[in-house]
Amino acid sequence: VIAGCPCCLSPRATARAPLARSRKAPARRKARGNDSGRIDVHHHFLTPDYLAAAGPLYDSPGTNSLRSQWTPQVSLDSMDEGGVRTSIVSLSSPGVWFGEPALRRRLARECNEYAARMAADHPGRFGFFAALPLPDIDASLAEIEYSFDTLHSDGVGLLTNLDGRYLGDPVFRPVLDELERRKAVVYTHPTPLEATRNLQPGIPASAIEFGTDTTRTIASLVFTGTAARTPNVRYIFSHAGGTLPFLVERFTRLARRPGVPPLPRPVLFELRRFYYEVAQAANRVALASLAELVPASRMLFGTDFPYRTAREMADGLKKCDFTPTERSAIDRGNAAKLFPRFKGA
Amino acid sequence: MFAPCPCFAAASRGRTAARIAPRPAKRPAKASKPSPQRIDVHHHIVPPAYKALGPARDFVATWTPEMALEDMDKAGTATAITCIYAGSALAGHPEARRVARECNDYAAQLGRDYPGRFGMFATLPFPDVEGCLAEIEYAFDVLEADGVYTQTSYGRQYLGDPAFAPVWEELNRRKSIVFAHPHTPEVCEDLIPGVPGPIIEYGTDTTRAIASLVFSGTASRLPDLRFIFCHAGGTMPFIIERFTRLAKRKDHAEKLPKGVLHELKRFYYECAQAAHPGAMSSLLQLVKVSQILFGTDFPYRTAGDIAGGLAKCGFDDKALQAIHRGNALRLFPRFR
Repeated sequence: VIAGCPCCLSPRATARAPLARSRKAPARRKARGNDSGRIDVHHHFLTPDYLAAAGPLYDSPGTNSLRSQWTPQVSLDSMDEGGVRTSIVSLSSPGVWFGEPALRRRLARECNEYAARMAADHPGRFGFFAALPLPDIDASLAEIEYSFDTLHSDGVGLLTNLDGRYLGDPVFRPVLDELERRKAVVYTHPTPLEATRNLQPGIPASAIEFGTDTTRTIASLVFTGTAARTPNVRYIFSHAGGTLPFLVERFTRLARRPGVPPLPRPVLFELRRFYYEVAQAANRVALASLAELVPASRMLFGTDFPYRTAREMADGLKKCDFTPTERSAIDRGNAAKLFPRFKGA
Repeated sequence: MFAPCPCFAAASRGRTAARIAPRPAKRPAKASKPSPQRIDVHHHIVPPAYKALGPARDFVATWTPEMALEDMDKAGTATAITCIYAGSALAGHPEARRVARECNDYAAQLGRDYPGRFGMFATLPFPDVEGCLAEIEYAFDVLEADGVYTQTSYGRQYLGDPAFAPVWEELNRRKSIVFAHPHTPEVCEDLIPGVPGPIIEYGTDTTRAIASLVFSGTASRLPDLRFIFCHAGGTMPFIIERFTRLAKRKDHAEKLPKGVLHELKRFYYECAQAAHPGAMSSLLQLVKVSQILFGTDFPYRTAGDIAGGLAKCGFDDKALQAIHRGNALRLFPRFR
């Protein structure tokens, strides 16, 4: 019996991989019964105002037509189908990074209120990462205060770069300092560096540029000392860390290079305290690598809905060599610790 | 570590399968082992003609063939297939044809001076297609080169760019080996203070080049070309799901009659700067051990470095021997 790979996508291919460590087989059977209660930390929402403002920017070839027909119910249907109890929603690329500063402020506020309303309308089903009108620092600080203290957001959602500036850039410092004070969860979503958006015909930026941009922002946070300066921020990186786990030796070697200023804490200490969600990376090739870097306690379930579904990611995870305990931690337990308000949901 | 994926590591059922064992099973290296007679397919040299084009980092500036041989001897490298230490100064240079020729003459002389120790990937004056074709003829027919060296991109042109098609067609006719070496595209330079381009951008540019060759249909159209990609494929294995999803698009699927995985699995991947479990665990889920080659990136890294890294990746002895020598011997039989 050849077991299925997520990339080969043989739909009913079994998890009974003959080469998998045999001690896992019985437990795996048991775990199959527990196909619900997931917490999806990478789940997009759209508001009518946002779509109207971002419309053409949001369009890219090959993306799912669902985005123009999305309603909270579309999300709920997919969540139910994929065993997701709660989704922490956020904006996808380009976030509110376009247009005039006033438009960004208005859109961030409007999106955050919309998400808070979704959470109130469907108790236990939705949380949200607040959008911030960066790089406007004062407005971003105001939005943090409003979204945390009034709307009870579950964290903030940041893009990996803004106009080529990565998250360790001094321009973001006051915002990250405030998030540190609040011990916030910071979810980052990739966005392509503008100059790399159309490097090759027929290859959308999401295919290659998204992954590398996450890796860049991780490098920026670590090597500027920002990660060490914000030890209480719980960072979540998308898509299993972009490409970081594959390149990890480049990071550890750079830290040891003569002339590189010493970091307060070892590179691996920082990389291992971050969280990594598995959307578009719930396959053995990526997660074998991620599993070399972090324990399952640092992995989170994510879907990238509406571009991908919870069912796809759940099936992908089942084909990886996690123990039932590990998988249940990835599906729900790790996220429930980050977002305790959904613990009983 | 994950057990090998039976679909990706296609030889799963038998003896040739990659066996990445769980960590506790790994054995300490034996001191008395015979020399592995490694073949290093990623080994930079510093031809004077290229060095004359611009300043080089200190350890590159002081390179000599003896330095290379000393490192090779120390770690048990029998043969290194050489390439120039950087290519960007050559791309578009008005005298690129002359410089490429002199680099190739230099590399060939090195091979004659130290028989059996050095092969060569010929330098080509990309993106000058006519110049490339002329140099291919000279390098193969006169110098008996072992393959060609290219950058992963030239400006905004990636390897599957239609403009380069005549070069690949000629190389396909010769059933040539193409060593694709990454660089940092201009638009990705100096993005993050303190983080040099190679750390992140090299890997990504290799991935872009692979995407270009695959999705342009170049790879499937020219099945006799044997590509070697650096650093375990850049970052391609890690984002494999993006490749397989994109390949389902109708325009791409038409150009990939055997599927995208067929192409990705027939390429070769050398392990310089990637001889660690984070990269190898992933690569091995995708390709057979037969596609993995030993490479060092000397003088940026040493053979001992990479060999030591590989020893910690959980390969069994047979797989290690294939990576160190056996797989490369099939590509470069003259070093048998």
